Amino acid sequence: MPLAGSLDIRPLVDGAPEVVLDERELKVDDVDILQVLYEVRVADREALVPPALNPTIPPVISFLVYRAKESAFGPFALAQLRLTARSGVRPRAYLISARCDNPALAEVLAGSWGFRIAPGEISLRRFHDRVDCTVHDPDGRSILQVSLVDPVPVTGHDVQYPPGMHLARVTRDGVLKPRIVQVDSEYVFRRADRGRPELTHFDLEAWGDARLVPDIPVSASFAACDVTIANVRYICNPDIPASEGTEKVSDA
Amino acid sequence: MEFGLFMELSVPRPWTADSERQVYENALEQVRLADELGFDYVWAVEHHFLEEYSHCSGPDIFLSACAAQTSRIRVGHGVIPCVPQYQSPIRVAERAAVLDIISGGRLELGTGRSATWPELSGFGADPDETKKTWDEFVRVIPKMWMQERFSWDGRMFSMPDRAILPKPLQKPHPPMWVAVTSPGTEVDAADRGLGCLGLSPGGFADSEKKVQNYRKRIQVCDPVGAFVNDKVLTVNFLSCNEDGDLGRRNGLKVASMFSYMAAQLLSAKEVLPTHSYPSEGLLPALRRESGSPGDAAKSFKGVTMGTPDDVADAIAAWENVGFDGINFIHQFMEVVPQQYVLDSMRLFAEEVMPRFKTGTAARPVAAGVA
Repeated sequence: MPLAGSLDIRPLVDGAPEVVLDERELKVDDVDILQVLYEVRVADREALVPPALNPTIPPVISFLVYRAKESAFGPFALAQLRLTARSGVRPRAYLISARCDNPALAEVLAGSWGFRIAPGEISLRRFHDRVDCTVHDPDGRSILQVSLVDPVPVTGHDVQYPPGMHLARVTRDGVLKPRIVQVDSEYVFRRADRGRPELTHFDLEAWGDARLVPDIPVSASFAACDVTIANVRYICNPDIPASEGTEKVSDA
Repeated sequence: MEFGLFMELSVPRPWTADSERQVYENALEQVRLADELGFDYVWAVEHHFLEEYSHCSGPDIFLSACAAQTSRIRVGHGVIPCVPQYQSPIRVAERAAVLDIISGGRLELGTGRSATWPELSGFGADPDETKKTWDEFVRVIPKMWMQERFSWDGRMFSMPDRAILPKPLQKPHPPMWVAVTSPGTEVDAADRGLGCLGLSPGGFADSEKKVQNYRKRIQVCDPVGAFVNDKVLTVNFLSCNEDGDLGRRNGLKVASMFSYMAAQLLSAKEVLPTHSYPSEGLLPALRRESGSPGDAAKSFKGVTMGTPDDVADAIAAWENVGFDGINFIHQFMEVVPQQYVLDSMRLFAEEVMPRFKTGTAARPVAAGVA
């Protein structure tokens, strides 16, 4: 039978962002995006995602890093740690945690889309033969060093960023309840490269799930895109399968 | 129209010491019945590491058992991954020839290249190379079968002059096919004179365009073998019952489980930016990017489920699209009882098959082979 998530979300709910469902969307042009994927080796795959979701075979983590020179909130960089998952038959990425260097944007990302987000210093540097990303805590401690090596051009069609599934708290029937918020983004590609992934340093504790030990390198891509994060259309009850617990909250 | 059974040999958890044996026994019972009822083909996949989804990693051995327990039905690889990290083309040619001999000349050789990340990475294969290696496999295998001695200095593999033995019973060689899931593979099939083994159900309009394109191109093909296998088969889910609601309900159980289990596997396309895999491979039609996370697998138009009339109507629609036959996924993860599966096959053979059968499958079979 399909593998079903069994993650106990109770310890995570208190720290989950409170999301106000609205029609807000966020459009940012010319965003540099680094995505690096690694298989993780874990005995209990089901325990990585909530019961609403299904783990993939094999489970793969992705480091998804945005850097924008300008936006409605000013320049920013955002680094996410995500885990491949399924919602029914659909490809999704379950957000473990994120770091952002722009406090105003971080507040919006948390409040409208449920990004579990903390401050961080993020550097994304592109060289001729590699792209390097580092993430530091505000106290200067390194928590991630990841790179794409030997880039070669590909088309935007070749690169995939599945919709995010973010554990949040949402008011339903006047009560704040745990819900998974589906974050759909549209990407218009200006260019894309792929290369070899290289993970030099990864502080698992700092990212929120010490079980996600990277094992086999999978791929790395670096793209420039116009990104639109759409308003939230679907939320689901994290405790039951998405096929039963999904609620449409917007037609837009 | 021709009809076949498509065997994934999926084994649901919890696994006991007997789980896999029971699945294989059930499958063999279905094949024996299919042989009696007049089905044309049984196809077996080759998959590795795909827990529950498919435990059919030795399809030639399974097909040998099928051949030994039947007398008429053709036995097909659906399909052999033509990836050198999985197996050498020499071994494919040798083992296929053995199967052709012991089946009395009933082998169909489907070829492909795998589309899932667990399989490709499990064998250390480079997904960028699989289209190229497939191309070389399908060009050398018929030569290995037909030439008394064979040598090759190729891009992907080379070998000195050797006798590759045994030779298949069918002369000049067994029919060859290619699995078609990615857009454009029907063109690859046509250009090489290979049969089109559809593995991904799609819409009528899209399918019609593909079939027409295939028919047009194969007229001017440069066949890799000694003859052109100008046939296009599609795949569907079979559940036939006098009670149409029960037929649809059980059919959708099979289809839903299939799509859920397929969806859980990471496709190469999903995790690796490569133009080598333009589609997701497994049931892309059921895996749209956007939409509700709660959407379960939906049935597509033209599903062969319901009463015999429902099933016949659906088949007629696919026949009008231009397909020469349909291979049925009639069981998956043992979600419907074995007796239901057997009864569905019997009813299909009694009530539906005669409406579409004009003769037995004609094959380029050698002199001396019945």
